[in-house]
Amino acid sequence: MVNLTIDGRAVQTKKGQTILEACDDLGIFVPRLCYHPALKPIGACRICVVEVKPGPPRPLPACATYVAEGQEVVTASPKLDVIRLELMKLVLINHALECPVCDKGGECELQDLTHAIGVPEVDLAAVKLPPNQDYESQLVERHPDRCVTCGRCIHICRDRVGAMAINFTLRGYFTELTSGAVPLDCEFCGSCIDICPVGALINKQFKYRSRAWEVTKTEMACPFCGGGCTYELHVKDGKVMRVFNGGDKVVLCGRGRFGWPVVEAPDRLKTPLIRQDGQLQEATWDEALDLVAAKFRQITEAAGLGAIYGVGSPRATNEANYLFQKFFRQGLGTNNLDNPGRYTYIRALQGLAAVFGPAQVSGVELDPSRPPAFTSPYPVTDDAKGKGFPFVLGKIDDLPKADVVLVVGADVTPELPPLGWALLEARERDAFKLIVANNRRTKFDRYADLSMRCQPGTERLLVAGIIKALLAAEVTPAIRASGVEEFKESLKKLTLKDVAKKTGVEEAAIKAAADLLAQALAPAIIFGAELLAQDKGQENALALADLFLLVGKPGAPGSALYPVAEKNNTRGVCEVGVLPDFGPGFAPVDKPGAALPEVLALLEKGDAAAPQSLYLLGGDLLRFAPNHKQVEKALKKVPFIVVQDAFLTETAKLAHVVLPVAVHAEQEGTFISSDGTLGYLPRALSANGVKPDCLIIHEIASRMGYSIPTGGPANIFKDLAKAMPLWAGLAPKGSEPRADFGKDLSGQLVPFDLDVSLPGRRPLTLLVGKSLQHSGSFTTHHPCGALTVTPRAELGMNPDDAQGLGLTEGDAAKVTSSQGEISVPITLNPDLPPGLVFLPEHFADPAANALTLNSNLVRVTISKG
Amino acid sequence: MIMPFLKGLATTLRMVFTKPITQQYPEERREMYPRWRGHPELTIDPDGRRRCVACTLCLVVCPSNAIKGIVPAEGPEHEKYPAAFVIDLQRCIFCGLCQEACPQAAIKLNNLYELAQYDKSLLILEIDRATQKESKLRTPDWL
Repeated sequence: MVNLTIDGRAVQTKKGQTILEACDDLGIFVPRLCYHPALKPIGACRICVVEVKPGPPRPLPACATYVAEGQEVVTASPKLDVIRLELMKLVLINHALECPVCDKGGECELQDLTHAIGVPEVDLAAVKLPPNQDYESQLVERHPDRCVTCGRCIHICRDRVGAMAINFTLRGYFTELTSGAVPLDCEFCGSCIDICPVGALINKQFKYRSRAWEVTKTEMACPFCGGGCTYELHVKDGKVMRVFNGGDKVVLCGRGRFGWPVVEAPDRLKTPLIRQDGQLQEATWDEALDLVAAKFRQITEAAGLGAIYGVGSPRATNEANYLFQKFFRQGLGTNNLDNPGRYTYIRALQGLAAVFGPAQVSGVELDPSRPPAFTSPYPVTDDAKGKGFPFVLGKIDDLPKADVVLVVGADVTPELPPLGWALLEARERDAFKLIVANNRRTKFDRYADLSMRCQPGTERLLVAGIIKALLAAEVTPAIRASGVEEFKESLKKLTLKDVAKKTGVEEAAIKAAADLLAQALAPAIIFGAELLAQDKGQENALALADLFLLVGKPGAPGSALYPVAEKNNTRGVCEVGVLPDFGPGFAPVDKPGAALPEVLALLEKGDAAAPQSLYLLGGDLLRFAPNHKQVEKALKKVPFIVVQDAFLTETAKLAHVVLPVAVHAEQEGTFISSDGTLGYLPRALSANGVKPDCLIIHEIASRMGYSIPTGGPANIFKDLAKAMPLWAGLAPKGSEPRADFGKDLSGQLVPFDLDVSLPGRRPLTLLVGKSLQHSGSFTTHHPCGALTVTPRAELGMNPDDAQGLGLTEGDAAKVTSSQGEISVPITLNPDLPPGLVFLPEHFADPAANALTLNSNLVRVTISKG
Repeated sequence: MIMPFLKGLATTLRMVFTKPITQQYPEERREMYPRWRGHPELTIDPDGRRRCVACTLCLVVCPSNAIKGIVPAEGPEHEKYPAAFVIDLQRCIFCGLCQEACPQAAIKLNNLYELAQYDKSLLILEIDRATQKESKLRTPDWL
């Protein structure tokens, strides 16, 4: 603590704070314009000047001066008032006084400051500058004539988002914000809009729609990726006006900030649909639910309780998924259910579980007092100990504390934007080292200390090479590790030379990576859904788990594994037990059911053991599962399919009953993000005739005579959290931080498959991955903001490859694989190495999975056409 | 005895030959003073366009909720204008706060004062009926 005097008051503040932060903590108001808690001090406006003794004989900016022992600070004096008033006059000298039409009016920091300082009039004059408004850019509108040149937007874009898309041009009074060229070409995250103290940067979705004070604000979890961000939803007259993220952390990604209009998409389903005479016809809720219950009863009576197969949803809330598994386990009494994470995230969990063992929690006991809503009834005590794979998964907030981060097979920002922001924060420390191993150049290669470019699909071999180098250097694991000898044996035949040849990464780079990891005090590993979606995704996770066992220091904060859970509740749907082999909290079940890919294979074969009915909670199987043809064939053979979805998806088109569901802001519930934090989703809009998932499941269950808990999501959560000691200490993000478990980790090195060959002889490799603006297929419905920036699927291709094929930007290309053929326009992308082409997975037409077999990598031929 | 009678007659006769002070309403209507606070209305600029930019300050300041339903819209030159605007004369208390709050001099209380209607809905002025028009009842100097 530091002792100092502020305005004659003896105070104690934390060491390393600035005077402004200390004043804020103490409730002393110091006027400021450019300072923002999300950023490092900028020191551009000088309005926060204070007098400091001992110090130079002039006022110092409070935002950039650190507290020191024995300091005497004066925050208000006639001298300071004169300085602030003069500075304000200079800021206001030619400010476009468009407050009546400026969307910032009412929440404008310049308005507030003008009132706080009491600027009577501006008695200065300067030449008028041209307004230079930018109306052309997508989603963002720029008004340089309203700019106060505080520099916040530039700093957030450079330091927090890492896009570096905007900067100042010219000097002094003529300083102007510019993107280099109109229109903006950036990540379109919109963080600059919310951090702008004035209306110089405007959200086009919000433009002129409402005044700042007219909206009702609801803080909620973002429903797109697994990042677990929270934001404010602003609603006026039952309509969403915008997504806003003020407060200490302003950064959001484009899908979070501009993706909300999916709620208003005109193609949303409004009434249940029933298939009659081969056509889906509108029906009432009672008709549809009665039909589902009757059919389900009929099928179970004829073919047994296991004849219904359930697929949970990584988009639906924990409560809905929990009820869903309860419907199957307690109602029907089968374990025939799974979730779409099977193709990605579950592989990571399986790989980690093989190395670090199953989830075990000890020393937590039910709290007899009633916890607040949506809070775990298990408090974390000192003797709480966690064992097994969930405890090597890291928290995004801790990632900046890691000193070496290895990114494998992940274009971090599109996969999980918050991971990218955490990496940028980590980068601010000098000791931080970043290793990036990808098959193409990604955003983070620019920040990497060691950048390795491997052949597509050879990431596992590269990891094996790093492990080999580590073993050669005789690294001792920080955690108890067994099976070392056996493991060494399995890698005996592998030589670094071989690895270098097959992966295309130089031997020296592999050794350098191993060295960095071996010396790290808190190494972390990030791997994406891109790596997990490969045919041998589980082996990839296994290899990385082995690597982490060798070098990881789980005692050090930030040192952990960060697999990407791609959707908002991918981790939650697994944790609440929508799995054939595990119940809530990863409790093993007696008679495991079949996994989703096995069931699809059985259905396709027309096997007698195949289920007679599918109950799909969201989850557009036809869109996300690889091998479109097989899935389509399989689904067409199912006698009765029930789909709960907000849209008439490809899968829903094959269903017999479609039940429209409420989406994020229309229902209450919780999500578990990629890093295990609980996101709370309050209800902010009316559901307009559609029903939340929980209610639909409950109604079907009660029509079938099963009693499952009801009474709203809060009640279901209570029931759910009781079954989950794993969630001990869990509370919605933003409330008290979750106390950490004591970790009792040990592991076993498990040999993994070293074969990384990609079958087929076609000349190019297609990678099906994620686009920056989209999240699953959820964001591909008009008028979603994501479609403004990325309206269609384009095949990314190296310019040299394109030239060789005689293709130029925008040309239609015919892409053929062993599975099928699609036609798609191409875009030239020098980030892709020759031989690799990239297609985003989100769009229905052309469907990327029409080309893939069982992996997101496939060999293809491309021709003009 | 006769004196009071003659006094009264004199008064009467005097009045017969003076100009009457009563006005023959509704055939004759009273001219209001320029600062009279009558019905609020949306003013137009010399080009005939509404001055209003839908900033909603009048709606915020209105103590009796007489102003409502302001729907902002964007024009071809990125200007902001109201696509809808409702002034409810049934609720208006003619306090004039709206014209004081208006940064564009777009809403003004005119010199109309009549509120009697057979149909209440006529007192709810939607945007077109709330917009200033040429009228002989409106003196040119009230604005």
